Amino acid sequence: MSDRSCFRRAGAVVCAIALGLVAAAPLAAQTGRIQGEVRASGSGRPLAGAQVYLVDGRAGTVTGPDGRYLILNVPVGEVTVRVQMLGYTTVTRTVTVVADQAATLDFTLTESAVSLDEIVVTGTAGQARQREVGNSLSQISTQEIELAPVRNTQDVIGGRATGVTVLANSGQPGTGGTIRLRGNSSVSQSNAPLIYVDGVRIYSEQSLAGGASRQRLLPLNDIPAEDIERIEIVKGAAATTLYGTEASGGVIQIFTKRGQAGRPVWTVELGTGVNNLGHVGPKEDPTGLFMVKCRGPELIDSEGNPFEDVTCPSSGSWLRNGPIYRFNASVRGGGGDLTYFLSAGYNNENGAIETGYSRDGGFRGNFSFRPYSTLDFAVNTSYRKRSSRFIPDGNLANGFTLNVMRGPANNFKRPGACSTPEMVCTSNAEVLDQVSMARTDHFVTGFTMRWEPTPRMSHRLTLGYDYLRIENSYELPFGFLRAPLGQISINDQQHTTLSIDYVGSVRHDLGGLASTFSWGGQLFEDRDNYVSAVGRDFSGPGEPTLTSGAVTEVSTHSRLRVVNAGFFFQEMLGWRDRLFITAGLRVDGNSAFGENFGLQPYPKLSAAYVISDHEWWPSSIEAMKLRAAVGESGKAPGAFDAVRTWEPIAADDGKPGFTPAQLGNPDLGPERTREFEVGFEASAFEGRIGIDYTYYRQRTMDALIGMLAPPSQGFLNRQLMNVGTIDNRGHELRLDGAILRTPTAEWRARLNISTNDSKAVDLGGEDIPVGSGNYVREGYPVPSFFGIKILNPDEIAEPILSEETYIGPSYPTRIIGFGTTISLFEDRLVLDLLAEHQGGHYNANFVGYQNNLRGVWRPCYEINAKLRAFNAGDQSALNDVTARERARCAIDREKMHSDFWISPADFTKLRTVSLTYRLPPRLVPGARTAMLTLSGRNLFTWTDYDGVDPEVADMSDSSFGRREYYNLPPLRSFLASIRVTF
Amino acid sequence: MRYERRSFVAALAVLLLPAAACSEFTKVTNPGPIQDSDLNNPDVVPALVVGMSGDLSAAIDDMIELTSIAADELAHGGSYTAPGLYYRGIILPEDVNGVWAGAHRARWVAENGILRIREILGEEGYESSAEAARANVLAGYANRLLGENMCYAVIDGGPREDHKVHFSRAEDYFTEGLRLAERVGNATLRYAALAGRASVRAWQGKWDEAAQDAAQVPTNFVYEAIFSENSGRENNNFWIETHVRLEYTVYNTRWANVHGDPRVPWDTLYAPGGGIRNGQDGFTPYFQQKKYPERGSDVPLSKGTEMRVLQAEAALRRGDLTQFTALINEQRGHYGMDPIPQPANEDEAWEVLDFERGAVVWLEVRRFWDLRRWYEEGRNQFLANRDKCIPISRNEMNSNPNLHE
Repeated sequence: MSDRSCFRRAGAVVCAIALGLVAAAPLAAQTGRIQGEVRASGSGRPLAGAQVYLVDGRAGTVTGPDGRYLILNVPVGEVTVRVQMLGYTTVTRTVTVVADQAATLDFTLTESAVSLDEIVVTGTAGQARQREVGNSLSQISTQEIELAPVRNTQDVIGGRATGVTVLANSGQPGTGGTIRLRGNSSVSQSNAPLIYVDGVRIYSEQSLAGGASRQRLLPLNDIPAEDIERIEIVKGAAATTLYGTEASGGVIQIFTKRGQAGRPVWTVELGTGVNNLGHVGPKEDPTGLFMVKCRGPELIDSEGNPFEDVTCPSSGSWLRNGPIYRFNASVRGGGGDLTYFLSAGYNNENGAIETGYSRDGGFRGNFSFRPYSTLDFAVNTSYRKRSSRFIPDGNLANGFTLNVMRGPANNFKRPGACSTPEMVCTSNAEVLDQVSMARTDHFVTGFTMRWEPTPRMSHRLTLGYDYLRIENSYELPFGFLRAPLGQISINDQQHTTLSIDYVGSVRHDLGGLASTFSWGGQLFEDRDNYVSAVGRDFSGPGEPTLTSGAVTEVSTHSRLRVVNAGFFFQEMLGWRDRLFITAGLRVDGNSAFGENFGLQPYPKLSAAYVISDHEWWPSSIEAMKLRAAVGESGKAPGAFDAVRTWEPIAADDGKPGFTPAQLGNPDLGPERTREFEVGFEASAFEGRIGIDYTYYRQRTMDALIGMLAPPSQGFLNRQLMNVGTIDNRGHELRLDGAILRTPTAEWRARLNISTNDSKAVDLGGEDIPVGSGNYVREGYPVPSFFGIKILNPDEIAEPILSEETYIGPSYPTRIIGFGTTISLFEDRLVLDLLAEHQGGHYNANFVGYQNNLRGVWRPCYEINAKLRAFNAGDQSALNDVTARERARCAIDREKMHSDFWISPADFTKLRTVSLTYRLPPRLVPGARTAMLTLSGRNLFTWTDYDGVDPEVADMSDSSFGRREYYNLPPLRSFLASIRVTF
Repeated sequence: MRYERRSFVAALAVLLLPAAACSEFTKVTNPGPIQDSDLNNPDVVPALVVGMSGDLSAAIDDMIELTSIAADELAHGGSYTAPGLYYRGIILPEDVNGVWAGAHRARWVAENGILRIREILGEEGYESSAEAARANVLAGYANRLLGENMCYAVIDGGPREDHKVHFSRAEDYFTEGLRLAERVGNATLRYAALAGRASVRAWQGKWDEAAQDAAQVPTNFVYEAIFSENSGRENNNFWIETHVRLEYTVYNTRWANVHGDPRVPWDTLYAPGGGIRNGQDGFTPYFQQKKYPERGSDVPLSKGTEMRVLQAEAALRRGDLTQFTALINEQRGHYGMDPIPQPANEDEAWEVLDFERGAVVWLEVRRFWDLRRWYEEGRNQFLANRDKCIPISRNEMNSNPNLHE
């Protein structure tokens, strides 16, 4: 049967049943209004941004900056209204609405760091109140997002939630970072968390970026931060069991803004600013690795030989202030049974080096329709288009940073063109003639139907489709020094995810005991089409296509399709609304499993106990929940990993042939991660102090390890086998405190502390290189650096070396996020700051290694001179030179080694600072609010790491292992923006 | 309650019916890779042999870089770490994983393919198959490549053996290839088998038989590992490393003093505007090899001129300097070079042979073995205090239980 006919039949079945199930209900004919204000208890401050809605979901709105709200078109009669705001207790009250009249209903919310009655959905079957959830769940609210000068969605997540690692990797506009939740649980499969947007699974991986960028894209960043209402993050298998296979890396669920019944509310935001880089490289280098200064007497090598770059810009620097332009507009509103949220935006971000930019724009339309009191539909659709041009960067012989930073030892020279004929004469501007582009189109749409046939029963069906296309092109123009006839390569990737997700639940109350039974099933079909082609040897100049080349080659073409399907059952028992026990089972099948492998079950069990509901509990601690959870989830192998295959090749000048590909393993199954976590959430002193603590312990069993068959047996690719065991454990602590709280001012501080201790317990005896000199080895963190270690680094002596020695982990083992918000004059002036520390890990400074190899690493110049003097017979020349300095700054090639440049990469960065001023209404007539924000990003870095930046890595060398290799550091940005709401 | 039960059942139907409607839907598809059983088809035999050839070319391509640097044919002038060690005579097991694996894949694919061809075609079809003849010749050359360059032989995950095991296996395959080539009347394969067998017989000390085989190969005969511009996998990557990246230079080798020899073509590379260009390391003067001037340049596996030099060595070992000189000059004449006078004695003749053979097989993955065998005989001592062969790779050591201590 063809897929098309299959879909037609399946769709018809679904629609017929869905329509048949709809129960008619009378529409309300007469309506009135509800109005009022929401204030904080104690301080009495008006609360802006609180959600006020009818409990039956028919209407709702958000409070304005003065805390006031108005709900239109409310059915007459007695209605129940609920007010919800992150950081406050939820309040529910009843009011009688009279036709064509306004009922007044004011609310006072008590601050609480723990919102036990807040509804969450991630990791639960359908939805649940926080008090019922036995696992840890982090949330990031729209308030946090709006205050921070975030560039993209990965910036929203970094530093704001425990257990989350976000590594920026690069300062190339348009590229994406690396995200990990509770470390790396897999050696061979992706450790990226699953990403859901409004219930629709989107492409969660990093994608290839332009050929010369040496970086990757993160499709998550195609969801504009301005559209995000909140984010829920569940981090381990204990919470992700119901997501089954693929979910052991955790789940990030993004909820975009939705419409609210009422008149349209328009928001327009305009922003502008600059990107730049401060000093680049070691402090001792006044030229900033010849990037900050590309002209002048300081352009010398370690022997004092001067050189010149004839193409150095007139400013004397390769760096510039790259302008930033931002525009975003949205409208939300609705009436009757239909609400909407529409938004559109455009960003133009230019890098700190000429030619580097990223431009993206798109729109979103979220619609909700509730034709009957028991049935509602939601359609969420977004499209984002992005075009990025990257600086040739990283471990690339034609790279701009590589060639500029190597000074006189670069690959682009123009002998005799300099002021002094015998001087080494470089010509780096030619490098920028290369054009490395990424063009993406990302379309996400989802249709969700909720049906509550009775007050006790609910069904939710979501159909989702994620379409992502990325075209990377890399052009060496005709006349390029290192490829005179030119070359263009194109990689075209299309990924689609079709998802069908159904969840049902029924609730029974048995006195003090409540039972909620849930069931559901999901099916995900992933298609990945990839074409890579090269055209080279152009006839002449001009803008080339593949067929401009005299020689063209399609180097890769793949069309991959994998289906994962499963179902689950879950029972939650609640006792007196304070103790909740949840047990569930997920069963999955996956088309990539081996033929001998059947369905895979993943069980879960959790308990939540709201101990603060007891009467004897001290009132000063208004909320306290204890929780514990254990659960499993998995990771599937790749398509065809289970089958013995041969790869078609061309040989003998274009004739068809075969070469061995995959050895095959019919017993191949998913790896299973079992996680146990225990913790508590507490709020004390009217929300002045909030604590959320979790200890987790993961064990990945049957871990998929790429085992090598003896190469002398012909099959060279590693074959996945379920033989490994990986451990992860750690602590997560979130402290939230109100240092000062008065009617006109508030000062809050947030502290997130996360640790992660990973260990490869069993790898089936394998020693697994993961690229960039990183390895996974039994008994050590996943992954780690190994190599030649200097045993006496600080001694004044020749280095004593230890071969093949463990040096340290490649990923942070501790992350501390510190944020503070100071609100003055009833929130008219708000200062927000976020700093982050990552530590315990290492990075390899290959810039230092490669530059010293060529005698152009400034911190080594003095040592280089002493070593030369020593070699010339001055026995006292090294009297103050340590073993580490001798090893790193060696001038004899036999004594040089890159392992000496693996260094601790601890850093603390001031991620964001923003100052927001709410303009007086008279200045912006007709506006509900107008906010002026001045902000900065990546303003300071404190680190002892001696490379260019401890956070960057070359993602083309390896997306798992980490190594810095002439990659641009993250940009420093200054931004001014104004946001007006009408 | 009944309503709830009905809606529960209906919901389950929503869940299950689409899947039931199309079980095909859940199949994984990944067009491209070929399943093993699909190769058991007579029509696939030509592609199997082309695959053997492709894997042998890939193995040769990998190994040129290592052996040319280790054998002083080229010097390291780039930024790769391992070749820097090769240049210093250090060849580590962890640095030769790719070289070891590629060469063994070439051998396994050819040897395993011969068994598969026999099974697919049957004895009659096999005996009349030019592809079978070529498969045997390729298996012979793959074994010779391993025998000449590896310190030890490891066959199909077995224990460590003397590297000369590969020479005896190669001799068997060349003999079988010769027999089949003669049956199908393929002269090229016949010469290729004879030339290959001549070399591996010589390396086993069978110099008279080697000389007899070699004598049957015309001086102008060349049998090559095929490279092409057609696709990246077929490219001569050694050309890319020496013409695009500038990793390996003739500078600082014995051949840097050899000028105008058509067997050792190289030239100084100048930057636009003048001045000698440096290698990828930024400071080593770049003398560029011109033997492989294109991305699709083929690499000789056997040549008639090498046969003359091999015969000359056999003559020298017999003490026949007259024939030695004649054979050397026959080879030189082929390249349009002036004849050399007869060496005054055997020591002088060995020096002549060292240079002449080195020039003839320059950058053909043969010199490392010549230096090794001559070192063991107390002649050329370049390899003193240097690694003399490629060790068993780290990956083979780790994955092969027969090699565990």
